[in-house]
Amino acid sequence: MVSKAVETPNAGFDFSNYARNEFFGQRLQGIPKATSTGTTIVGVIFGGGDSGEEPGVCLGADTRATGGPIVADKNCEKIHYLTPQIRCCGAGTAADTEFVTNLISSNLELHALSQGRPARVVTAMTMLKQYLFRYQGHVGAHLVLGGVDVTGPQLFTVHAHGSTDKLPYVTMGSGSLAAMAVFESSFKENMKREEAIALVSRAIRSGIFNDLGSGSNVDVAVITKNGTENLRNYEMPNERGLKSRNYKFRRGTTAWTKESIRSLIVSEEIKSTSGAGKDQGGVEVVPVPTGAGAGGEEGMEIDS
Amino acid sequence: MENNGGSVVAMIGKDCVAIASDLRLGNQAVGIASNFDKVFPVNDKLYYGLPGLATDVYTLKEHLRFRVNMYRMKEEREITPKTFTHLVSSTLYEKRFGPFFIEPVVAGLPTPTELDPHPKPFISTMDTIGCVTTPKDFAVAGTAADKLYGVAEGLWEPDLEPEDLFETVSQTLLNAVDRDALSGWGAVVHIITHDKVITRTLRARMD
Amino acid sequence: MANINSVDISRLKNGEVNLGTSIMAVQFNGGVVIGADSRTTTGAYIANRVTDKLTHIHDRIYCCRSGSAADTQAVADVVHQHAQVYTSVYGAPPTVSTAAALFEKMCYDNKDQLSAGIIVAGWDKEAGGSVYNIPLGGGMFQQPWAIGGSGSTYVYGYCDATYREGWNEQETVEFVKNTLALAMSRDGSSGGCIRMCVITKDKVERHFIPGNELPRFWEGKEIIGSVGGNGQQIGVVA
Repeated sequence: MVSKAVETPNAGFDFSNYARNEFFGQRLQGIPKATSTGTTIVGVIFGGGDSGEEPGVCLGADTRATGGPIVADKNCEKIHYLTPQIRCCGAGTAADTEFVTNLISSNLELHALSQGRPARVVTAMTMLKQYLFRYQGHVGAHLVLGGVDVTGPQLFTVHAHGSTDKLPYVTMGSGSLAAMAVFESSFKENMKREEAIALVSRAIRSGIFNDLGSGSNVDVAVITKNGTENLRNYEMPNERGLKSRNYKFRRGTTAWTKESIRSLIVSEEIKSTSGAGKDQGGVEVVPVPTGAGAGGEEGMEIDS
Repeated sequence: MENNGGSVVAMIGKDCVAIASDLRLGNQAVGIASNFDKVFPVNDKLYYGLPGLATDVYTLKEHLRFRVNMYRMKEEREITPKTFTHLVSSTLYEKRFGPFFIEPVVAGLPTPTELDPHPKPFISTMDTIGCVTTPKDFAVAGTAADKLYGVAEGLWEPDLEPEDLFETVSQTLLNAVDRDALSGWGAVVHIITHDKVITRTLRARMD
Repeated sequence: MANINSVDISRLKNGEVNLGTSIMAVQFNGGVVIGADSRTTTGAYIANRVTDKLTHIHDRIYCCRSGSAADTQAVADVVHQHAQVYTSVYGAPPTVSTAAALFEKMCYDNKDQLSAGIIVAGWDKEAGGSVYNIPLGGGMFQQPWAIGGSGSTYVYGYCDATYREGWNEQETVEFVKNTLALAMSRDGSSGGCIRMCVITKDKVERHFIPGNELPRFWEGKEIIGSVGGNGQQIGVVA
């Protein structure tokens, strides 16, 4: 009973460290910065009309994650799964985009199960905007939401404060200006699928090369009513050159003062004995380290 | 983060992983202890490092020990590195608006299973609010993180054998930490392979 | 206690999407005409240049939104839901004044947290066409015409001087169009194109004026290349 009360966490956020951290923030030079996805993310609607192609949505993202001036991840994934036919690109605070999209993805799955039909893109949009509005912009997720449902291809932007826009072509993140410049000069209605992919990757590339917060590779996702195609690392314009020689250290370079080796090989010796009820003295079992802890005082043994 | 100092680095090798940390505990510029290990075991082949605010190191360590023990009893199996990463991540995100000042690094060798008979070595790292990155090469965190990035980027190469990985990870940590006033005062390295875990305390500058 | 002066449009949360707007609604015999520009901004960046700020609340009730995009969308969504429930419960559509009262309650009760300036307009059987202005801190004012948003300050005088009672639909549409064009030309936070909506007993009719077909007024004399009095070249004054 006690363990249940202790273990089951309350749903939602825990503010117990908030006051302490405010104090720390005053005493120290600022508090650590969270990873943000200084990002270029885009989306376009294509197909339909005279194109003779299935209408759909094409989403794009770069793959750089930053923590202040440091590149925290050179090839992260910013196109998040919501449902089989809905994807969501995230910019802003990386943890927020990750957790918000996971939460909404779960709720959409439950919604689809309870309604007995796939969730619509507006449903995802409404869930996102209502969640983000509740947190008044403190949950820093800036999203491009795209997908295909019974009403056709749908494309939205969702800002961290909970406002939404519905447009045929959208960009967000720190590289949104560079990407929007490409869209404003080259977007056409009823593009072919291949044209749309090319335009999206050109817009992302414009972000990668002109915006410091964006970089590395181009990720693309194409959604039509026939399915979703994930084009992870569709373009890799910034591959690292191969090192022709290496910096391998000779063994023994590093001086060490103490060594302890924990063997994980479990050896048992079993001698067969015949006859039931016979004295079992012949069985010899070599003692092996038991328990799950890795040994020592710091081990995570069950009893402690 | 800058209060107590400290740094952790983890690297992937050929069928092995390494995780190393410095041993300094400070109060701002004043050194307090040179035996403050920031790397802890979860089980035989899974370790994690918690560089950051010392009070949160203990709080988080004990919290995770509790959660992992509960997991072990309920599931009757060991937690995998990936699952453990998600456990740490959601623990951190729960405190999104009052975070622990910790940037965890996880390093482990997943146990082969029927579904995945040849699992790859696993490392991951998170920011203070639990945003996970799972690199294919190395992970760094702590006050010397930016220096570690530079050195590791230059020294790391794929498919290092355990003894070579030891040299690479040790030199990476030692040289980065020498240029960080808040990290250092000794270092400890763990090399995790399928049949043993080697733990070595390095000879390091003590200034 | 929150001072009324502390509630102002500059109190937008950092990085928030802003409807730095020109909006308008005018009553005429048999209905209303509502209109708005189409610009939404985040700082100096135009986040959307073809925004629809004329938001559907019920069959014959619309609102014009100004202030924070997130706040006004959230309030409009809630009032929209209330209006639907109202129709189910009472078996008849709500009046414009009922919808406006719902808006007013939301805006007043949450005045410390919202930056929303809303004009509610529409047609109902009791009052015909009617216009309600709900300014920043709440309050509900029925007016024959209402203007709002950052651009409105530039055109109060024009509206006062121009508006006449008894206009027909066509005259009212022209008035709204001209007023908005004037506001948009003077206000940097307004611009793009004009969206209008005529709401009467029989129809909800949308009008769209693209940015290159806006009404134009005197914009200065072109004197490039002309020679000034003392023989010097004079620059562009346009």
